[in-house]
Amino acid sequence: MNASSPIASAPIWPESPAVQVAQPSGLARSQHPSPGATVAEHSPVTPRPIRARTPKRGQPDREPGLKRANFGREAGLPTLLLLPQLLILVCFFFIPSLRALMQSVLLSDPFGSNVQFVWFDNFKALFASGEYRQSIVTTIWFTVTQNVITLAVAVVLAFASDRVVRGRSVYRTLILLPYAIAPAIAGILWAFLFNPVVGPLAHMLHALGISWDPNRNPNDALWLVIMAASWKHICYDYIFLAVGLLAVPASLMEAAAVDGAGPIRRFFLIALPMLGPTVFFLAVMNFIYGFFETFAIIDAVTHGGPAGATNILVYKVYVDGFINLDLGSSAAQSVLLMTFALICTLLQFRYFDHKVNYGV
Amino acid sequence: MKKTAFMAVLLGVLALAAPAQAARVEVQWWHAMSGVLGDRLNELVEKFNASQDKYTVVAVAKGNYDEVTNGVIAAYRAKRPPEMVQIAERGYMTMLLSGAIVPVQDLLDQKGYKIDWPDFIKPVASFWSYKGRMSAMPFNSSTPIFWYNKEHFRKAGFDKPADTWQELEAQLYAIKAKGVSECGTVLPGDFYWSLLENYSAINNQPYGTLANGFGGLGTEFVYNKTKVVSQVARLKKWLDDGVLQIAGQGLSPEQLFTSGRCSTFVNSTASHGNIERNAKIEWSATFLPHENDINPPLNSTIGGGAIWVMKGHTPERYDAVAAFLDFVAQPETQVWWHGVTGYVPATSKAYALARERGYYKEHPTREIAVLQLSRGTPNDNSRGFRFGNFVQTMLAQRSEVEAVFTGQKQPQQAMDDAVKRGNEILRQFEKLNAGKDAEAGREPK
Repeated sequence: MNASSPIASAPIWPESPAVQVAQPSGLARSQHPSPGATVAEHSPVTPRPIRARTPKRGQPDREPGLKRANFGREAGLPTLLLLPQLLILVCFFFIPSLRALMQSVLLSDPFGSNVQFVWFDNFKALFASGEYRQSIVTTIWFTVTQNVITLAVAVVLAFASDRVVRGRSVYRTLILLPYAIAPAIAGILWAFLFNPVVGPLAHMLHALGISWDPNRNPNDALWLVIMAASWKHICYDYIFLAVGLLAVPASLMEAAAVDGAGPIRRFFLIALPMLGPTVFFLAVMNFIYGFFETFAIIDAVTHGGPAGATNILVYKVYVDGFINLDLGSSAAQSVLLMTFALICTLLQFRYFDHKVNYGV
Repeated sequence: MKKTAFMAVLLGVLALAAPAQAARVEVQWWHAMSGVLGDRLNELVEKFNASQDKYTVVAVAKGNYDEVTNGVIAAYRAKRPPEMVQIAERGYMTMLLSGAIVPVQDLLDQKGYKIDWPDFIKPVASFWSYKGRMSAMPFNSSTPIFWYNKEHFRKAGFDKPADTWQELEAQLYAIKAKGVSECGTVLPGDFYWSLLENYSAINNQPYGTLANGFGGLGTEFVYNKTKVVSQVARLKKWLDDGVLQIAGQGLSPEQLFTSGRCSTFVNSTASHGNIERNAKIEWSATFLPHENDINPPLNSTIGGGAIWVMKGHTPERYDAVAAFLDFVAQPETQVWWHGVTGYVPATSKAYALARERGYYKEHPTREIAVLQLSRGTPNDNSRGFRFGNFVQTMLAQRSEVEAVFTGQKQPQQAMDDAVKRGNEILRQFEKLNAGKDAEAGREPK
């Protein structure tokens, strides 16, 4: 890892996406300003980079090595450096996962004094259960909608913050605030604001002639948790997008401006394509957020109701495990949830990753 | 599972870090009381600690009932359970058959305490005992009662709420029609307890086979064939007509009553403390209504919690536990607890004492729960509920009732589905605990 330092030190994925975005473009500016597909014609200084086209060390030229870790011949130090992370993974991921896997084929009372091996009964019961199927549909709808809303709003805010001249830091701080609020508090806040009896925003909706009642209308309840969950996560996406925008070479934007492209056109034709890796990363993160981390919001806003309308998979795992004390079913559900998440993430990588341009 | 393991590790560390008491034997009591009730509980423990110099009880608030249950499960699995834990009524079967507990009557007998067990009020005693022996010490027993806004009733031309659901319905509709209040009543958060289970008991309807589960683990729900179905239909009608309101998240049903928005409210007698403090209205309370073709109505059933003793401690510690439980069972303690919280006194002696001291002259509504609980002769329909996984079956039922409220299902369909789901859950409990009955009564080591 000596000659090819930028390559070797590139993140494996996905811990530090900011680096992923910033580093290549920083490089690009100093050494080889490279063309995005559309940008090439507008760019005034475009010596076509030789490096990106010549395959180096067997790397395909489409991805100039930024996503692959290479330890070279000496594996000792890198392994040592990775060890703490691996240890954490073993303790907090592999061992619990293994235990969940074991528990999922057992029928056991909560105190563990009576345990029966039941093969796949827990799984069979889940697939036979209407509530579980409803929960899967709800989860998909919830996660996808939340993902789209979060990204869309965050992109608009990031774009806008790039154009704000006065009070930019105030604007940014304001946007980042929701991230500092605990999910349960955020949930209670939303539940209160949209409470059909006393909530001021619910009263506004009523005044507009919308019959808003999340207690009796499943769709309203689902929209309420989607909005609360998105609101809570927009700031996360915003940070990455705002930083990503900073890393877009000013020269490209200026060139486009000189050529007569307005700010919106510049944004869509230059900035957004260059944000590709960030958007992709955020889509994956939003997805994981929706799948696993929205439990507290659901708990505070709807308790999964009414009639299971907002009972997403992760909340069902919690209720069955920690309230109903049905450990076998809860474990089976977490195994399935983990599998779903894994499959979805892999699919995202498989289908979208190719479309993302990591080179600059 | 991840959380459980983590909790277990954490608890282990905490337990190791606790300093050992030299002179006094220290025992832990994990509980779920918060707010005013938590303060009262701490006072109770202080009273006990001050009353003698051999034992110290340490009361530890572990969050709500669910959190306490999860905490004690994790601690038990990590072999570091507290000596005593407060568990809600719905967890009775889980605790009884857990193999992790010492029945309190066995413990107190063994330690030579003479408790007047037959003196416990019937619905209380029968709920917490197994084969005639008390499994847990009744501590905070409550029952739902009917709260109402006196001014609203007066303005609508009524003295007080009617005794039957039919007449009450007319009253609530009149209150709304006359513009006295927009909201006749508010749906309690635990409506399944007060408006379905207690409704069943009071109106002499069976809830499950085998004497509501008292006859064995083979019990099945049957409330889809009783008046519960029409009760759900009634609630749905009231909701549609705006007579009944749902508070929803972010707001407690109690607030809608104490603020004077809703005219009536069905809730536990244990909310006396809160209502006395928060209500800016002229309020009173009375018995829960009954159906007009049911006469006389039966007793209501209890809710709340009891103190369970966990297995796996030294005899010295069990000495301390026994002394404390004996203290809790004393009429003086019971009367005090009844007075400061609104929970019912668990024994007839305590009730007589409260009466004798003229307590109910000053606080007439405090007597309703006791009178309602001890009304008539309890039968199989009103003795209480003995269902395994009772939290899980209740949540399934609640979800089905919500489906009626949202208009997705008809009451009969929803109750059929609730019973079907509930019975599957009961069968799972039966399968898990097959042949386990004998274990429940084992002696402490």
